[in-house]
Amino acid sequence: MRVASNTFPTSLTNQLATLTAQQNRLQNQVATGKRISQLEDDPATMRQVLDLQVQDSQIAQYRKNISSLQTQATSSYNAMSGLQNLSARAGEIATLADGTRSPQELSTYAGEVTQLIQQGVQLMNGTSQGAYLFGGTQSSQPPFVATSDASGNVTGVTYQGNDSVPGAEIAAGATVSVQVPGANTSGSGPGGLITDSRNGADFFNHLIALQNHLLAGNTSAISSQDAPALAKDEDNITSQIANNGLVQSHLSTVDSLASTQSLSVKQTISQDSDADLAETLTQLSATQSAYQAALQSGAKLLSSNQTLLNYLT
Amino acid sequence: MLGLFGALNLGARSLQVQQQGVEVAGHNLANVNNTAYARQRLDIQTSTPLPTTIGNEGTGADVVAITQLRDTLLDQQIQGETSVTSYLQSQQTALQSTEAGVDEQLQGSTSTTGSTSNVGSPGGLASDLSGLFNSFQDLSTAASSITSRQAVIAQAQQLTSQFNQLDQRLNTVNGQLNQSVQTDVTSANQLMSDIAGLNKQIVGSEAGTGVANDLRDLRQQKVEALTKLVNVQTSSDANGDANLSIGGQLLVSGGTVQDTLQTYDSGDSQLLLRTASAGTPLTLTGGSIAGTIDARDGALKSLHDGVNNLASQLISQVNAVYRPGYDLNGNTGANFFTGTNASDIDVNAALANNPSALQASGVAGATGDNQVALALAQMSNATQAGLGNQTFAQSYNGTVTDLGSALNSVNSQLSDQQSVQTMLQTQRSSLSGVSVDEEMTNLVMFQRAFQASAHLVSVVDQMLSVVVTLGQ
Repeated sequence: MRVASNTFPTSLTNQLATLTAQQNRLQNQVATGKRISQLEDDPATMRQVLDLQVQDSQIAQYRKNISSLQTQATSSYNAMSGLQNLSARAGEIATLADGTRSPQELSTYAGEVTQLIQQGVQLMNGTSQGAYLFGGTQSSQPPFVATSDASGNVTGVTYQGNDSVPGAEIAAGATVSVQVPGANTSGSGPGGLITDSRNGADFFNHLIALQNHLLAGNTSAISSQDAPALAKDEDNITSQIANNGLVQSHLSTVDSLASTQSLSVKQTISQDSDADLAETLTQLSATQSAYQAALQSGAKLLSSNQTLLNYLT
Repeated sequence: MLGLFGALNLGARSLQVQQQGVEVAGHNLANVNNTAYARQRLDIQTSTPLPTTIGNEGTGADVVAITQLRDTLLDQQIQGETSVTSYLQSQQTALQSTEAGVDEQLQGSTSTTGSTSNVGSPGGLASDLSGLFNSFQDLSTAASSITSRQAVIAQAQQLTSQFNQLDQRLNTVNGQLNQSVQTDVTSANQLMSDIAGLNKQIVGSEAGTGVANDLRDLRQQKVEALTKLVNVQTSSDANGDANLSIGGQLLVSGGTVQDTLQTYDSGDSQLLLRTASAGTPLTLTGGSIAGTIDARDGALKSLHDGVNNLASQLISQVNAVYRPGYDLNGNTGANFFTGTNASDIDVNAALANNPSALQASGVAGATGDNQVALALAQMSNATQAGLGNQTFAQSYNGTVTDLGSALNSVNSQLSDQQSVQTMLQTQRSSLSGVSVDEEMTNLVMFQRAFQASAHLVSVVDQMLSVVVTLGQ
């Protein structure tokens, strides 16, 4: 083929441009660690990676939800465990206050029971993240309010909450609630911690009855009515604590699954979009060699500038 | 026999021929770097012979023409391919601007240990969309928390501002493309007027005196510049005119511009092309104007429509779930988002400084209830009929990667097209390009012949002086 004078410089320019573009692309891949970064690089994979990133972000959020629920569950557990201690002490008092006790002793016990009720109300009005733990979804006001008479004895404890609890997602489509309502007298739904009509639990009213019987010195009522009632309350509280443990264990399991899932999603993203450094560097080095060779040969031809002119005198 | 004066005359004409040869070589050398130039050659022919008794005797040589080495078929091929290349290049430019406007890219090496992960560009729309649903999730774990509510509102405001910005950026790109069509049309009209002018000059200067090579080079250059803008069909007539038409509409006939190009608003502020006087809409098949229009009405439009549809669906679906909810004060019935599409989507102004007005609860008076927050959070995985049964994120990812596919396809087509174009250019350069070595050889060849012819004149001169002094 006949080669005109400007054919060579034009093709050299084109070749150098192509090689520079290749080097630039490979250099970007090495520097960012990404085989694809722009939408145009590999649209099908890009789509898959974006969808996987959404999935990964959701998994991270589910784990955040789990962590938040775990905090709530721990707060609930602490309150319930405190309540269990109160219940145990109340049970003891109900056993101790038999006919052998003097009215003075019984009155002292009554004072202690009053204290227990107040402590119980205080525990049940605990909050987590600004919301009352045991008021159901009625979380803006203290769930339990105790009223006392002039001599300081508790005359009643009113429940201001409701019997529904909010659930949160811990995996796609799986919602869990870690909250326990203070009372549920509807006969359905989540079990109430203090009052539950299904198993006869009514802790505060049973404590008030105990307090009143102690004050009145009615030891027979204590042993026949209050002690069995308080035993039911204790069973109810224990069962709620067990439930809490189950939920916490469930949360841990789901969290660990989510962690594995997240790792596998990230690995897929990495496989799809990350550059294989060894391969990319090899390619870069090959392109650099080609570029160097093109420069060297091109410069030699251009600088020697050999034409017939050099030999004409 | 020529006689001494005949021989002297022969020598003189030979000098002229060789001198013209040197001039042509010089002209070629001068244009060695002129890409529009086709090398020229001297056509030398023996002069009319003189009949003698012993047969015809040669009378030297004359220049009959200066021809250029040009392959019209190759020129036409290059015109066609230039049009295609330019069509793809303008599409590439338009789509790259759009891609930059969307600004979704993968950044950083994927960490398998990090707890959080970005979706697309940090601060991009994909990331903010995912962030909004995550903030709804946070809210569902603490429905009455003011902090969570503030986070939802801030995240939503960030998302709506992303939508507004993206819409604005796409409008800007659209405006730039329309501007580019307008500029190209002005240039095309100027080129057509130049070509008509050159037609007139060429016909004028070729009348009986051979071919106007350099003017034809210039005209070919203008025609190729025009085919870069719009795919014109050229035809030449017997006079040497290049007539131009687009889709059967004659635009340049000889030295007259029959009709010019004009842009017109197709009704939705998008510029299309028609002939100025006849008003016939033109369907273009190549050139940068067609490329720009196709990118604007193709990938850019579907991206913009996709983003607008996503925004509308987000507004209507989120509002439908949100509206029946109750805020911390027991109020209900307000919307979360206002607006109708990506250009005007916004978070309800009433929420801006009042996170307690966020209607997260599904039960009046139950501030700890999270039914609405949970339903909103769960929407992130719900497919929407209005989005082709995709989730919000899938729809957006699909919309932006469709743009990527369009650009990717243009990139690979352009790469192939450039190979074709380079091949044709090399072929043309092989035929028409100037070679310095060749011209130097010609130069020496003509120089030597000139020297020899001069010597001939000198010899005849000496012979004549002998003849003149014969009688003395």
